[in-house]
Amino acid sequence: MNKMIKLKINDLEVEVEDGTLLIEAAKKAGVEIPHFCYHPKLKPDANCRMCIVEIEKARKLQTSCSTPVTEGMVVKTNSPEVKEAQFGVMEFLLGNHPLDCPECDQGGECQLQDFAHENSPMTSRFVEEKRVFEKEYFGPLIEKEMNRCVSCLRCVRYCDEVVGSNALGSMQRGNMHEIGAFAHQELECEYCGGCIQICPVGALTSRLSMYDYRTWQLKKTETICNYCGDGCLLTLEGVKDDITRVSSEMGAGRNGGDLCARGFFGYGMINHAERLSRPTVRTKGRDLQVTWDWAADKTASGLNEIKAKYGPQAIGGVISAHCTNEEIYLFQKLMRQTIGTSHIDSSARLGHINAVSGLVKAFGTTRMVRYEDILQADVLLVFAGELTESNPITAIKVKEAVRQNKAKLIAVDSYSAGRETYISHLPNLATHHLEIRPGTEGTAILGLLKAVAEGSHQTSLSQTARDKFKESLSSVSYDNIEAVTGISEKTFREMGTLYAGAQRGVLIFGRAITRCEEGYQNVLKLADLAIAAGQAGQPGKGLLSLTKENNEYGAVEMGGASEYLPGLQPVGAEQKGHTLVEMIDAAARGEIKALYLVGENPFRSLPQKKVEEALSNLELLICQDLFPSEVSALAHIILPAASYAEKSGHFTNLEGEVQKVRKAIEPVGNSKPDWEIFSLLERKLEAELGDPSQSQKLEAPSVDVVWREIVTTLPAAWPNLSEEKIVAKMTAYIENGLRSYVVPERAREKEEGVFDLSMSQVLFHAGRMSTYAPGLTTLLEKAVVLIHPDDAEDLEIQEGEEIELKAGGNGSGVTVPVKFSKKLSVGSLLFPEHFGLEMQALLPLTVDPITGVPYGDRGRVTLAKVSAPVS
Amino acid sequence: MQTYEPILLKNMSRPGYVGSLEDYRGVGGYAMLEKVLKEMSPSDLIDIVKKSGLRGRGGAGFSTGMKWSFIPKDHTGPRYLCCNADESEPGTFKDRQLIERDPHQMLEGIGIACFAIGAHQAYIYIRGEFDLGAEIIQNAIREAYDAKLFGKDLFGTDFDIDVVLHRGAGAYICGEETALLESIEGKRGKPRTKPPFPAIHGLYQEPTVVNNVETLANLPYILKNGPEWYAGIGTQKSTGTRIFSVSGHVKRPGNYEVPLGITLREMIYEIAGGVREDKELKAIIPGGASAPFLKPEHLDARMDFESIAEVGSMLGSGGVTVMDVDTCMVWAAMNLMEFFHHESCGKCTPCREGSAWILQVLRRIEGGLGKPEDIDLLVSLCERIEGKTVCAFGEAEIGPILSTIKNFREEYETHIAEKRCPYRPDAALAIAH
Ligand SMILES: Cc1cc2nc3c(=O)[nH]c(=O)nc-3n(C[C@H](O)[C@H](O)[C@H](O)COP(=O)(O)O)c2cc1C
Ligand code: SF4
Ligand code: SF4
Ligand code: SF4
Ligand code: FES
Repeated sequence: MNKMIKLKINDLEVEVEDGTLLIEAAKKAGVEIPHFCYHPKLKPDANCRMCIVEIEKARKLQTSCSTPVTEGMVVKTNSPEVKEAQFGVMEFLLGNHPLDCPECDQGGECQLQDFAHENSPMTSRFVEEKRVFEKEYFGPLIEKEMNRCVSCLRCVRYCDEVVGSNALGSMQRGNMHEIGAFAHQELECEYCGGCIQICPVGALTSRLSMYDYRTWQLKKTETICNYCGDGCLLTLEGVKDDITRVSSEMGAGRNGGDLCARGFFGYGMINHAERLSRPTVRTKGRDLQVTWDWAADKTASGLNEIKAKYGPQAIGGVISAHCTNEEIYLFQKLMRQTIGTSHIDSSARLGHINAVSGLVKAFGTTRMVRYEDILQADVLLVFAGELTESNPITAIKVKEAVRQNKAKLIAVDSYSAGRETYISHLPNLATHHLEIRPGTEGTAILGLLKAVAEGSHQTSLSQTARDKFKESLSSVSYDNIEAVTGISEKTFREMGTLYAGAQRGVLIFGRAITRCEEGYQNVLKLADLAIAAGQAGQPGKGLLSLTKENNEYGAVEMGGASEYLPGLQPVGAEQKGHTLVEMIDAAARGEIKALYLVGENPFRSLPQKKVEEALSNLELLICQDLFPSEVSALAHIILPAASYAEKSGHFTNLEGEVQKVRKAIEPVGNSKPDWEIFSLLERKLEAELGDPSQSQKLEAPSVDVVWREIVTTLPAAWPNLSEEKIVAKMTAYIENGLRSYVVPERAREKEEGVFDLSMSQVLFHAGRMSTYAPGLTTLLEKAVVLIHPDDAEDLEIQEGEEIELKAGGNGSGVTVPVKFSKKLSVGSLLFPEHFGLEMQALLPLTVDPITGVPYGDRGRVTLAKVSAPVS
Repeated sequence: MQTYEPILLKNMSRPGYVGSLEDYRGVGGYAMLEKVLKEMSPSDLIDIVKKSGLRGRGGAGFSTGMKWSFIPKDHTGPRYLCCNADESEPGTFKDRQLIERDPHQMLEGIGIACFAIGAHQAYIYIRGEFDLGAEIIQNAIREAYDAKLFGKDLFGTDFDIDVVLHRGAGAYICGEETALLESIEGKRGKPRTKPPFPAIHGLYQEPTVVNNVETLANLPYILKNGPEWYAGIGTQKSTGTRIFSVSGHVKRPGNYEVPLGITLREMIYEIAGGVREDKELKAIIPGGASAPFLKPEHLDARMDFESIAEVGSMLGSGGVTVMDVDTCMVWAAMNLMEFFHHESCGKCTPCREGSAWILQVLRRIEGGLGKPEDIDLLVSLCERIEGKTVCAFGEAEIGPILSTIKNFREEYETHIAEKRCPYRPDAALAIAH
């Protein structure tokens, strides 16, 4: 800790750490100094002059937001001079202000209003004509009302210092100063909403909720975002049962109050008109809307019939990793214990399970790196070129580490370092970017591993372990590695040295590892790399796997995977049930007769024809979801589920932080939270089995009771593993685990006219759910395929023009419009996975031999123009 | 009339002198740069400049040697020198002449200052409108590089100095040293909050000195003739000569280099030939648009930093504007406020809002719509700006207002009482436009 400094504020003695700003010291002493431009997240700019104070011996009044404390300082925040200065600033600010509080969305939570009450004269001497700005919208989602602006530049500074988007700036001078996007163009930024949140007045507000509320009508509930694995704390704010706005308290939560577009503008799916709202039973092609009791009876009896007829193993269940820990726990319990099947899986199967299996094998845990460690790292090695779009808050931490704390960032991916003007892009941020050929991550890891193993850095590794590493890599040649990845030996050696030389090295990996071929093997190779480089097993070092859905981490920990019971307790090889892919196969073969799909839609991850065939084969298909889907179209029973806003429980984010989800509104329509449905079914099933002891249990337990059960069921050490245990596991792993590494003989040939197509996530969407949020569809409404402008130029394609993509040059193609993106590597195409199922059909599917993860995100396609350019 | 030996304007007054490298070397130019690089230590150099008493010619009049000595000695990263050639203050046009007529004199000064503070990189920030000046400096830099007077390993030492010309884009505020740094960094020119001062966190957050063109141009002569010689010119605390740009209602407007400490009377009535058409004198701005107005009763004040401050104004940028008896003081104040309003960068509240408000009130008074309480309102608005802004622009803009109210209050009262401008009958019409 820093040295402590003593000072006096309004005769109060205060002691604070050296370096503290006066305004913060005053806060500590219970003295609030009025301010506009100051914000703890931002570097002081001292432009509003509101926080002015008197400091003994200083020649003139000083701004407390930019003055650090010094020993023995004597400060007055309420002397007549100070009050007069603050009156002055208020008078100046209010002079040109429109005073339109009654129709301003900020009214009631506005710093100008608040400070005006305390610090301004009751009458105005300003009799001149007010300065008026013409109305201008700030892109589709942000309302800009410059007449209310106090020119504090918090928005500009936030966008620059925190987001790194730099989309905003000052325009004009003097009292015509206004905030604008470059040359009055439409805002084309990350739409994180941060500028709206940080604006102290009503100059920037959300267009999504314009005039929909008065701030004091809003009921606020703190909960966790349900889009990605970053796990942001956000506040759902609603009038009655309608969510109208989202915010996040400054500094609070793992996200520190920062959000991304999905969190800030993506709440529209909650009260969406297309939500499934009534339990429905489909008999003889007719939909019957029924009561919950009836639906539950139907479901329970249906399952029991199948069980009686074919045995419990004819039933399978898959749950979405968007559900809470309690729900996933109850679901696996329902399947495993009440029904007695071992076929249980979740959407964590689609990739995260690779990370869990690999990391647990090497380290015994997945909990190694937290956001704080990213901030403190001096070297970050990141295999996730899409990080700023897939996990925007993790990206904010990486940005802070690189831009403020000067960490070195090595990015290994198949993107180019080009940047679209105002959306940040990891390779662009990297201090070292290794642009590898698509699909060559595994070989690139070997390139680094070899460099590390043959390097001369100090580690705590035993000499035998080092020799083993060296030996197992001796047959791997850099000629091959370079031929495959396109990266030179020299670069690998330099990067290996950099990573191994780190004081605190953090390795982050995303879908290019977990969701692509060789996923499990590549996670193990990354573990080997971190161990060989001495970057694991000590505080501040380790690996972090990015999760895509908000609770993938929890899904596996709660037992939502065929190979794990709650608490990552392995299921014996004998007892292990089917994975998602195997269940679909088994259904197609007629072995599985009933499937219970909770929020999970296999049409989106597996070949549609096959899925359709399999699901049509079933005697009982139960679909429990928020929105109609390809599954609900085929289902026999449809159970409408409540969204995260309508329930309580816990989500576990990608760091492994277990966070509280709180119910904000009553379930929409006649939907129910998944956990309530499971416990209803459990009671029905057990009652049908005639277990008399169950009759008292007819009351639904509360989620708190479920959570207590989970905590007592899990192993005592959960969730943390001690450092010694990690080291012990790691040592055991390398002592007996080292494999021989193989590099593909040579690179795949580049063929004329053939492109590498990959599906990926984009910033403005998460899965399918976000496509129901009007705020987000405003930003990206329909499918487009991204192409590098150089490729487009070669092919004489213009932006917006439609092209046809085909796999292997024959079969039917898919037609989509193109959008240019400098972020892509030349020769590659990217398709946002949130749209259209057709694209998937072009991509080959393989399944991981060990973890059963289906890989279908990448493939090669040919491309042809179909239409004349649109003007 | 007494004549004074010029220092900085001397070369250019020689017949045929066009300021080329050849010309400048012909009068011994660059010998001092060579001497300091080869023979002196930075600390000796700083001591000499301190001893000479040289004070900044850009506005604030801060001791140059002292400013240099604030650069941390143990700093290992880069350090920078910025030559402030942004000269935009209405009524000031001396740097322009130094640039256009004798660019190498300034460049040699830049080289010397770089050595003093250990900077290997210098920027010259030139006012955007100075097209000719920019071309001349660019040529001079090229000549100097060709002659190995700038670049690597100068004069056989291992000292490198690179000079880059950076052109402004038309904002007065970029003459303020921290706004100038922001502008060089490619950002919008807005002053930074001080502290930290540029000597600690300047350009790209590295230690930096910003010096005015005229300040730097003095250096070769101080070294050539010794600090004692320089300190012997002018007054004890305001040493050396200064170039004053005299304009307004005088018979011979122009740049005049004189020792600091001559009287305003001598400057206006002898050197500049007196008031045009021998009219009566009404007001004098002694140091550029930011300096408070003086009255004829101040004519015997000496033009050195201290004496002018004593009578309530400042030497500022050295622009002396003379106004005759037919000049309306309200109009003059309004006219200056038009400038300040237009140039306020908009960063801090008091200046941004205050400048516009004051201008509106002044326009009203000048246009015949003033109210008696407007005068106190103006004073109060000025007081709410004074000392509360990010940069000294705040003090600059209120100087003309407060001083005209103080020295010529009756003119404001007449405007208000008569509901018109007594000097400019069509003022109301002009303002309505
Ligand atoms: C609003 C404002 C404008 C200024 N404009 C100039 C200018 O055009 N040229 C200049 O040399 N100094 C100008 N200055 C002064 C500079 O901030 C700085 O003090 C000076 O360049 C330092 O050089 P010196 O020590 O050699 O005087 C200005 C200051 C303010 C507050
Ligand atoms: S990225 Fe867009 S929404 Fe976020 S702070 Fe910048 S301008 Fe505002
Ligand atoms: S828009 Fe808001 S945050 Fe931005 S400068 Fe204006 S008042 Fe400050
Ligand atoms: S005083 Fe005026 S010019 Fe200086 S920072 Fe403030 S607004 Fe800008
Ligand atoms: S809060 Fe300190 S100047 Fe704005």
